[in-house]
Amino acid sequence: MADYPIPPEAEKQIPPEHKLTGKVARFLLKRYPIWPIIDHLAQKVVPVHKHTIWYNMGGIALFFLLVQIVTGLLLMVYYRPALPWASVQRIVMEISFGNIIRSIHHWSANLMVLFLFLHMFSAFFMKAYRPPREFTWLTGAALMGIVLLFCFSGYLLPWDALSFFATRVGISEIEKAPVIGMWLAGLVRGGPDVTIDTIGRFYVLHVTALPLAVLMLLGIHLFFIQIQGVSEPDSFAALPKEKKRYHKFFTEFMFGELPVWLFFSALLVALAAAFPRELAPEADPYASAPVGIKPEWYFLSQFQLLKLFPGEIEMVGMVLMALIPIGMLLVPFYDRSIPTDRRGKIATLFGIVVLTGMIIFTVWGYIS
Amino acid sequence: MDKNNLMGESVSKRRFLQVMGTLGLGWLGAAVYPVYKFLSPQAVPDPFGEDGRALVDKVSTADVARPGMGKNGSYGTRGLIVFRDSQGQLRAFDSKCTHAGCNVEFQGNRFYCNCHGGTYDLNGKNIAGPPPRPLTELGVVEEDRAIYVFRLTDEKTEQA
Repeated sequence: MADYPIPPEAEKQIPPEHKLTGKVARFLLKRYPIWPIIDHLAQKVVPVHKHTIWYNMGGIALFFLLVQIVTGLLLMVYYRPALPWASVQRIVMEISFGNIIRSIHHWSANLMVLFLFLHMFSAFFMKAYRPPREFTWLTGAALMGIVLLFCFSGYLLPWDALSFFATRVGISEIEKAPVIGMWLAGLVRGGPDVTIDTIGRFYVLHVTALPLAVLMLLGIHLFFIQIQGVSEPDSFAALPKEKKRYHKFFTEFMFGELPVWLFFSALLVALAAAFPRELAPEADPYASAPVGIKPEWYFLSQFQLLKLFPGEIEMVGMVLMALIPIGMLLVPFYDRSIPTDRRGKIATLFGIVVLTGMIIFTVWGYIS
Repeated sequence: MDKNNLMGESVSKRRFLQVMGTLGLGWLGAAVYPVYKFLSPQAVPDPFGEDGRALVDKVSTADVARPGMGKNGSYGTRGLIVFRDSQGQLRAFDSKCTHAGCNVEFQGNRFYCNCHGGTYDLNGKNIAGPPPRPLTELGVVEEDRAIYVFRLTDEKTEQA
């Protein structure tokens, strides 16, 4: 076997040969010439400034994603798409720890969405999307969209009264799209109304298609971040060199996140135990919708905004609602200047308007 | 203290990792039990009711009306064979082959397992092929055109 030579700078940094870790490191480096990658990752740093905490939001969202994968796999063991409500009822009523595992899945989904919003807006306001990081922003935006599809598809699966009407209302919004609306809605539903065929589609989306898409896009997203490093806000970049302080990403910053992950593990269990996710009565497509039915909080601002455009002018609301995410998505292409210029200030203002609007409309939707 | 550049280790960091590692392992340990219980199979209900009998399904009295007639059916979640022997006596055996668990077939003069050729006589005794033990016989009664089986021995119905 022709060994790869161990680079001299690697020899200086890896543990000495008589130690086990040193032996393992040499064993691997002789077989795989990956020292440049390791060296690159070891150089990766996270700038320390008053906004450093916002760098943690993505990692926290990643933690909730891991919880979703584990609890989702467990729920799949007993969930039956052909007996949706009865199988969820069995998980809740009969299977040991089924209720708490389902509730953790529910709470973790909600917290993941919350922390993704925090992650997205912190990247937005720190202007981390500017060149050369446009594609990190775009993959992140795609991941946000996929996560919302996860929420929408997962909401139907228990097939209770809430999930049935939420899905019917949600898909009816697609119907309102011009020309292709009815056709597209039928394709999504698998028919003119929400039925067991809709479950079949949403189940495959929720447990196979979307997870594959997330793993792929997240891999690319994290790969970009590892190659390019974490962005520095203008205020930090302007500091004289001797005033800049950094944490090493590996392993200071990463291990610094451990207590946070442990805290959120405890929080999830506490939330799931104190506020278990209810299972409403089985969906009855002919019964009246339950009193006080409302979208989940992450769809509430859109729901409330659409209420402002009743009847004929609803199309205006729909267009407005489509323009906001498009405006967010394209921000790296109109705010490119480092340090920030006038267009950058407009982008910041746009972000403030969107964020404030989302909060106001969500609260308004919640209390009305 | 062993210090090296790659990991940038220090005593306080090592201590931090020890604490976090212990907490993390403790947390994982606490998660293992619920997950194990979640995945553990639920108890299968005893097929024999309070009166010690189980209703036979998929075999009617007409299926076993005359000597030499027999049929595969079920009681609870288990399979069985009910047949009428040459003396006109109704008899029943759990149909799960004692070799590898296939359901055996009633062939008039014997029970035969199509999986590996296990053969039993009409008393359930293993007479050819791989089965290590006889089939479990069940008590059987006819009542109002329904067939019931009951446990003949003290042993539990669960057998390999």
